[in-house]
Amino acid sequence: MDWLFFGEISLAGLAMGGLYALIALGFVIIYKATRVINFAIGEIMMFAAYLFLAFAGGMEMSPWIALPLAVIGGSILGGVIEKTMIRPMLGESPISVVMVTIGIASILVGLVEFIWTADPQLLPNFLPREPVFIGELYLAPKIAYGFLIASVLLIIYLLYFRFSRGGVALRATASDQAAAYSMGINVRRVFNMAWVFGSLAASLAGVLVAATGGLSPQFGIIGLSVLVVVIVGGLDSILGALVAGVFIGWLETVAGAYLGGEYRMPATFLVLAVILVIRPYGLFGTHEIERV
Amino acid sequence: MFRNILEKGRRLAGLGSLVAALTVAAPAIAQDKEPIVFGGSIPLSGVFAFAGIHIHAGLTDYTSWINSQGGINGHPVEYVMEDTAYEVDRSVAAFKKISGSSSPATYYGDSTGFMKAIASELNSQGNTLMSGASFATVLTDNENYPYQFIPGPNYSQMFGIILEYIASQGEGGDMPNVAFVYSDTEFGKDPIENGKARAAELGIEVVEEIVTKPGSVDVSAEVLKLRRVRPDYVVFHGYVLSPINEFMVQMRQMGLDTQFMGTFWSSDKLIIDKMGADADGYMGVMPYNYYDSEESGPVLDALRAQAEKSDPEAGYRPTGYMQGWFNAMVWTEVVKRTLDAGKALTGDNMAEALASIEDWDTGGIIGIPVTVRDMSFPVGRIWRVNAEAGRYEPVSDWIHLD
Repeated sequence: MDWLFFGEISLAGLAMGGLYALIALGFVIIYKATRVINFAIGEIMMFAAYLFLAFAGGMEMSPWIALPLAVIGGSILGGVIEKTMIRPMLGESPISVVMVTIGIASILVGLVEFIWTADPQLLPNFLPREPVFIGELYLAPKIAYGFLIASVLLIIYLLYFRFSRGGVALRATASDQAAAYSMGINVRRVFNMAWVFGSLAASLAGVLVAATGGLSPQFGIIGLSVLVVVIVGGLDSILGALVAGVFIGWLETVAGAYLGGEYRMPATFLVLAVILVIRPYGLFGTHEIERV
Repeated sequence: MFRNILEKGRRLAGLGSLVAALTVAAPAIAQDKEPIVFGGSIPLSGVFAFAGIHIHAGLTDYTSWINSQGGINGHPVEYVMEDTAYEVDRSVAAFKKISGSSSPATYYGDSTGFMKAIASELNSQGNTLMSGASFATVLTDNENYPYQFIPGPNYSQMFGIILEYIASQGEGGDMPNVAFVYSDTEFGKDPIENGKARAAELGIEVVEEIVTKPGSVDVSAEVLKLRRVRPDYVVFHGYVLSPINEFMVQMRQMGLDTQFMGTFWSSDKLIIDKMGADADGYMGVMPYNYYDSEESGPVLDALRAQAEKSDPEAGYRPTGYMQGWFNAMVWTEVVKRTLDAGKALTGDNMAEALASIEDWDTGGIIGIPVTVRDMSFPVGRIWRVNAEAGRYEPVSDWIHLD
């Protein structure tokens, strides 16, 4: 066994897992607060990455200005989607709401094809290119710095949800909407903020992932891959999103390296199947008990 | 004043009569001979639209050009197409619609999936010859696909050309080794087994095989595997752009002096436009001269003139454009040979005409005379990116496989 190789592969997988965790966080925040499974999360990522391309590539802005602008643009998009398309669906069946998010995904794909064409794109380089070594272990610079940036946002989010008034309101709404409403929490505003925050996390992940793997109108498919992460972690668990994101990223990479690229997906879906059998609500998800 | 108005009215009436007469006469001229229809399931939208719009432009421009040359033996050419969004069911529906209404002699298929799906219907109809975007090896199986051909080398032949080039770089019996990197798709896997067999014949060791997800986001683990075997060449297949860029950049960051090569759909100028200086040295196998190459010839010059005429603002035309043009050019040659032989335009007769193509001068589109082998044109050349000049430059002679 080549332990150096295993260490390098594991490091690359864990770093990629950090990005998965960020996308999963965007997914979970929205689900936790509003109970909406957002199938457009990948397309929101894609839209933000295209915004970055427009700002940093087309308008030739500094990438460090373009990055926050693109992330803010993506989060505003999330807020607008909630206000104009999801809020009118309040009280409708969950399937209808899911279908609306699938429709939104399709509209966003059409929109980026219309604006930026269907050509594959690469984002302008904005991350350092010097190889990163942790001890003797090599880590690709884009993944290393992407992981660092993602970690910063993850920590900010965790602190915000733990200690801020907004975070408490969100957790209260997630826990019991009616009670939160009766305590004076503006639940509609919480819903909107959840979409804004969720889309913000997804947008940052979108730019970082696109910086590594390129961008095209089909980029949003990655959102569906992350569905595995959130189901394994638990749809309504922020801790689950983080742990499962890092784990699935590691597993996928190790399986790809030792078994071959064609086994990446089967390995993750095998874990998904096992988790669904043992804990259908995910590793850290809430086990809801309904009394008849 | 009233007289002036009357006079103008008379002139306008006269002009109107002339226009009306021409309008009536024009179809009469065009209808002297039955039009030859080129049909097409074209991906103007969807995942393949980046190439589809240029393929469409190539087919459209060729049709305009050939009609300006008097059509095919006096028959005007009509190009009838439908957008398919690169979905097999829509491509099949487009084929049924176009073949039902226009009886196309030849047809452009937008994917291997469509061309395989439509094969039985094409075979039973027996009156259309098909080629298209696919260079799939399986389509050169004449048993199952007698009316389909490849407008260039198939993917296995492309690997053959690449491997012959690599073998030619071996010095003093020191044969370079190679790694294959391909996507986990039917497209990606197509030439791998034949490529390995051909490498063994040439004495080239395949030191690693990497399979990636088609939409792979991170390939650093795969790059780590390649670092351990340090291949002299990496051959990519089944991609358009990503993750080729990441492999190249990361492997160079690691100090490897590996050279990188790719097949048709990953050898467009897109790689240079998007990767910039990082693309320098990347090599691709290409059966056609690039639009901006220094090569020339009567048809290549006509192509450039027609492209300039139809859209002066477009500038460089991608390989999809060249491919669309070449497809239509082969169809024209096949139809012409069939008509010259006094035969009806059936699938069998056109396939026979195609198989008879030997040492065909393509007027500069391909740099040497070409001969059809097993329903394909097994010819190509290795081109290398000169990032500073922003284009591909030839680094090998034309290689025509037997």
